[in-house]
Amino acid sequence: MKNYIINPMTAAILALSLLLAGAAVGQEHGGDIVYSKPLKSVTFSHKVHVEDKGLICDMCHARTFEMKALSAQENGDFKMQALYDGKYCGACHNGTMAFASNSRCATCHTGVKGYKTQPGEQAAASAH
Amino acid sequence: MSNGTSTSSISLNAIESAIVGRLKAAGIGFYALLAIFGLLAVLATAAGIHAMIAGHEHYYNVTREISWGVLISTYVFFVVTSTGLCLVSSIGHVFGVQDFMPIAKRSVFLSIATILSGFFVIAFEIKIPWRMAIYNVISPNLTSNIWWMGTLYGIYLAFMFAEFVFLNLNWHKPAVACGFSGSVAGIAAHSNLGAVFGLLMGREFWHGPYMPIYFIASAMMTGCSVILLFHIIGYKINGEKMKPDMQRALEVTSKIGILLICVILFFTTWKMISGLAGHPAGKYEAVMALIKGEYALNFWLFEIGMGMVFPLILFYLSRGRNLNMMLIGAVSMIVGIFVMRYDLVIVGQIVPVFHELGVNEYKHNLSYFPSLYEWVITLGGFGITAFLFLLGEKLFDGHKVEEH
Amino acid sequence: MFKKIDFDKLKNEGLENVPMKERRDFLKMGLALTGIFAGGTIFSAVSSFDRVFASTEEFKEKYPYKPHYAMVIYQNRCIDCERCIEACAETNKVPEGGYRTRILEHDAPDAIGQQREFIPVLCNQCNIPQCTRVCPTKATYKNPTNGIVMMNITKCIGCLTCQQACPYNARYFNEEKKAVDKCNFCFDTRLSKGESLTGCAAACPAGCRNFGDLSDPSSMVYRTVHQIEKTVWVMRPEAGTKPNVFYTRG
Repeated sequence: MKNYIINPMTAAILALSLLLAGAAVGQEHGGDIVYSKPLKSVTFSHKVHVEDKGLICDMCHARTFEMKALSAQENGDFKMQALYDGKYCGACHNGTMAFASNSRCATCHTGVKGYKTQPGEQAAASAH
Repeated sequence: MSNGTSTSSISLNAIESAIVGRLKAAGIGFYALLAIFGLLAVLATAAGIHAMIAGHEHYYNVTREISWGVLISTYVFFVVTSTGLCLVSSIGHVFGVQDFMPIAKRSVFLSIATILSGFFVIAFEIKIPWRMAIYNVISPNLTSNIWWMGTLYGIYLAFMFAEFVFLNLNWHKPAVACGFSGSVAGIAAHSNLGAVFGLLMGREFWHGPYMPIYFIASAMMTGCSVILLFHIIGYKINGEKMKPDMQRALEVTSKIGILLICVILFFTTWKMISGLAGHPAGKYEAVMALIKGEYALNFWLFEIGMGMVFPLILFYLSRGRNLNMMLIGAVSMIVGIFVMRYDLVIVGQIVPVFHELGVNEYKHNLSYFPSLYEWVITLGGFGITAFLFLLGEKLFDGHKVEEH
Repeated sequence: MFKKIDFDKLKNEGLENVPMKERRDFLKMGLALTGIFAGGTIFSAVSSFDRVFASTEEFKEKYPYKPHYAMVIYQNRCIDCERCIEACAETNKVPEGGYRTRILEHDAPDAIGQQREFIPVLCNQCNIPQCTRVCPTKATYKNPTNGIVMMNITKCIGCLTCQQACPYNARYFNEEKKAVDKCNFCFDTRLSKGESLTGCAAACPAGCRNFGDLSDPSSMVYRTVHQIEKTVWVMRPEAGTKPNVFYTRG
């Protein structure tokens, strides 16, 4: 097994290519959205929801989530209780449409480790 | 350069003038070597004290997971050597086997020199050594192998020192008594050092009764190589011709060496097989690292090749008489054994304790390589042994053993 | 004589549907369930809590310490927010680069459903601690009242044998204290000052870390450990340390 060590140059290229890739498929979805409030971190994968599950934009972006990324986490009620009450992710993740919000925690919660391994964070970390 | 004065002379002045005479007669090469080895020890002391003051974590490469590095393995190497010297030499002067008599004095002297080197090295590995001096005495933990090892090695050193004094005074009976007590303390201390590793439940590569037993056998093996090395070099330094009884002693030492190499090869074979059969968790990964992983070069070239097979062949071909062949064999063996101790200590730690949990953090073996400071202190340990050896040759006139 | 059963058509009833009586009988056979995605080596503590947290039979009825501090970790609730680690570092002045508690990440890409799990680890405050046995100067010891494995930093010589002996990597050398440092359930910083929870348990937003007195039948930790319906396990049971940190899911 090899350890892959990412040097700053590779990280920069990686970040750039991810940006370009994001722009290329931007018409279809917004890639990974990493929420860091109220705690680090929750990763929402557009790929899983749009490409794998075949959801259309309006299913969430009509009412539940604004088009602007991360706007939900600015709301004071962006907490698990809101999800249990059927808001935000809980609109679907209620145990009938999708797995319940009070189960499979680490599927969405990628934690501080998930936050640190984001391409943006990595580039920032290696720039220091 | 002997002027024939024995240390058993009554007159202190005579002894003094004899020593001064020998030191004066020593060549420039002798003093150059003495200075180099002395300098190594001074450098190591400086490095060790600096690391102690400025913080070990900045200067040593040991980590939370691999917290024992080359200094521990070097300590183990030196105390293995010391115990081996004591045990092999005691065959003669304690248990009365005539053939081994001539090597007694030099071996006892070197067992003191090597254990002091060991203490020197470990003093810089232990983070707060002065607390040890206090709390080992006032707060002893009798279930701790480290405590027993330290205490017993202290007793051992005292006996060896007394034995050396008695040997030089030709007081035979107390020398034998001290030699016997020293051997017992040495075996107890050294097997406790084995138990320091062997009784750790969470460390599969070490855990079990193997370590204490192996430590004693490998001490004897090391003892043989060091006796050969220092006796042959000692005679070269003093420019003397070896007497038949000394030649005979080295011949039997090389034969014991052959026997013990075979014993350790046998031990190693089963250690490896037991680590492979059934893929025992934690042990298998470590054994594989030795057989074909990061430590394969260390294992095959140094441990097996230089440490055992090559000297085995040389000792056999020398028939115990070709001193140059035996010298090369002994040097090769000592290098191999040093790596053997290194692998024993480091490989026992490379498999993370949470390896079996399958977590991302501990999927792979951990790595360690000594820092510059650690190497300098290690070399300092060797410097002390070499320095004391050279000095001893002149002070004690080639450690000659009187006939009685 | 016997009713013919077509095994192929039988429905898997799942473990949760096995009646209590049957479960008890099954467990009495001494068969402990093994959690596969729990990381391979973790064994069930079900029906064998004597094995897990006590060294002798009498411990089952009577705990050696009062209070007998313990922690139950609901492994599936951990979301790696690391508030516990932050709270611990702040409470106990853990320097940069060191840690008393940590969260490990376990990826199971082949798993059905959830494919990641976070595993908090800390000192297990073992009933048979290896670290205290190997310490030459009794610098680390088991508190005779509450069973917490503590440090007397003035006696620590820094030989680091305790670090080698610990099967949980729970110890590190603290350069500021010039002694080995470890989790002590916040005894000096919180419990002795009247707090009822450790810093990490108080900071945990997910109910993952649950701290309490195992000798108190009304405590949550007691009720979680003293049941056989849900698997409770400990880390590295083969090391024989009888931990007081238990793991479960739910």
